[in-house]
Amino acid sequence: MFNRILDWIDERIFIRKLWNAFADRPIPGGASWFYVLGASLAFLFLLQMASGIFLSLYYAPTPDHAYASVKFIETEAPFGSFIRGMHHWGASFMMVLVALHMLRVFVFGAYIKPREIVWLLGVGLITLVGGFAFTGYLLPWDQKAYWATVVGTNVAGTVPVVGGLLLRIVRGGSELGNLALSRFFSIHTYILPWSLALLAGLHIFLLERAGAGGTWKTSEKTSERSEPLFPNQLFRDSIFVLIVFIALAGFALLSPAPLEPQADPTDSTYNPRPEWYFYFVFQLLRIFEGKFEVVGTVILPNIAIILLVLLPFLDRSPERSPGKRTLMMSLAGLTVVSVSVLTIMGAKAPIVNAPAVTSQSVLAGRILYDKNGCGACHSIQGRGGKIAPELTHVGSKRDADWLLRHFKDPQSVSPGSIMPKVALQDNELKELTDYMLSLK
Amino acid sequence: MEAQEVTRRNFMVRTIIGIGIFISAVLAVPFTGFGVLPALKKKDKQWSDAGTLNDLPIDAPQERRFFQIVKNGWQEEKQERSIWIVKKQDNTVVAFAPNCPHLGCGYRWSAVDQKFKCPCHGSVFDISGKVLGGPSPRSLDTLESKVDNGRVLVKYEVFQLGIGGKVAA
Repeated sequence: MFNRILDWIDERIFIRKLWNAFADRPIPGGASWFYVLGASLAFLFLLQMASGIFLSLYYAPTPDHAYASVKFIETEAPFGSFIRGMHHWGASFMMVLVALHMLRVFVFGAYIKPREIVWLLGVGLITLVGGFAFTGYLLPWDQKAYWATVVGTNVAGTVPVVGGLLLRIVRGGSELGNLALSRFFSIHTYILPWSLALLAGLHIFLLERAGAGGTWKTSEKTSERSEPLFPNQLFRDSIFVLIVFIALAGFALLSPAPLEPQADPTDSTYNPRPEWYFYFVFQLLRIFEGKFEVVGTVILPNIAIILLVLLPFLDRSPERSPGKRTLMMSLAGLTVVSVSVLTIMGAKAPIVNAPAVTSQSVLAGRILYDKNGCGACHSIQGRGGKIAPELTHVGSKRDADWLLRHFKDPQSVSPGSIMPKVALQDNELKELTDYMLSLK
Repeated sequence: MEAQEVTRRNFMVRTIIGIGIFISAVLAVPFTGFGVLPALKKKDKQWSDAGTLNDLPIDAPQERRFFQIVKNGWQEEKQERSIWIVKKQDNTVVAFAPNCPHLGCGYRWSAVDQKFKCPCHGSVFDISGKVLGGPSPRSLDTLESKVDNGRVLVKYEVFQLGIGGKVAA
């Protein structure tokens, strides 16, 4: 039955020819476990597309709703935590595998003629993957999202001369708000996926044109035993994809993606930290301070990218064996070691502010306090009006019961008070009370 | 030797296909559940306060507007609702959903004719909601209601239109 359907299709659009063109691609030197990384990246990209599209069913890209909608996905939508976990950890997996893939191609000397263009597209793809990671974590609009993006975008501001302009363009204004979130959302879900799909397609297509690199024993002149992609290589690819998938699902199930309290631009006690894969950049910023900051933010990252772009033009020797490319191997080793060391140093960077133990409810109360204009009459730590009692230490003077009754009817506990009744719902009054109690 | 090659090849082909099916199947469950289940979830019915009992006249239907707290995805919203309430001699109330069961137009009470009349296709109902004429396939939909402490409380619901039975939408 299946074969008859296939025959029917094949008679019309020659689908077997198409399959053979894919399956019979020669792998010089035969199949190898070293070549599974590219396939796993293609798989991860498709998986990120799928989980991302499903997340977009419930995600709302405005600061008013983003956090609540992500919380809805995480706590209420069936399988929401799993799908968000896959998307979150998928980003980390992609970062690791993309680095390994590049390293593998480097060690095998597979970027030399005739595959220079394939390498260049690969460099472009790596920057796109970095762009995905950076634009993705603003979207939940939690504390980490907000503060890591404040710092991350400020990096753009350190570019000489045009920094200020660049910063405004990245953020859609001077501060992170509606325009920044919708802009990051658009870049993350439209611009980058299309760009990456296009570039990755070209990357694979041009590799097909130029021919797979094979091992370093493969030289362009000697013809040696080669093997078709299918089934030996595709079998290895599939096994590795399965391992990646199970590991990723394991992470998503056992360690759900974190969701910190909602972004609070007035919070001065938060310790902003990027995701682990940006720790090395974070650490560079800690090393180059003051007027040397631009070295860490602009000069070094750009030198790195320029070197990657120039690599196939600087290293033009046909020699591919890592044993005979001592200089290249030392450079690669040096890069791997320094990125690793910077990452570990970044992870261990001391936390300046004691971690805030602010609960969700206290945070919601603080937002209610601001929204309802309580600060017009009351003051907290010197900020606010003077005509009503100061609230800086109200948490150590009043208890929850008193505060609740006072909000509902100030006269009942404080006769003669000029305070109006607080017209909020019961759960909101509870949050406002929790905020008051936190002021000690 | 040749036969061995064939089995080895078959094994690999089956494994490749098997892995593809396995991953697709494992993903299909959460993706489908995530996308479909929230849409099928029925809303919890909760009591809404539809105003006082005292200022309702006896046996003269009144339209009442009130706010229902509705959970809308990740948000709790106040949604304005309108219903028709009839207070009876014994101080009990009957509450009707505001849409004609035919195609959902808002009907009104005609005091002159002592009937509910739908302006769209001419369905007519008596004070108990019974359909007297026109295309409406069923009587007006009653809502669960009670009187508590002098307040009229109702559980607001939306019903499927155009069918003979009263089925929650």
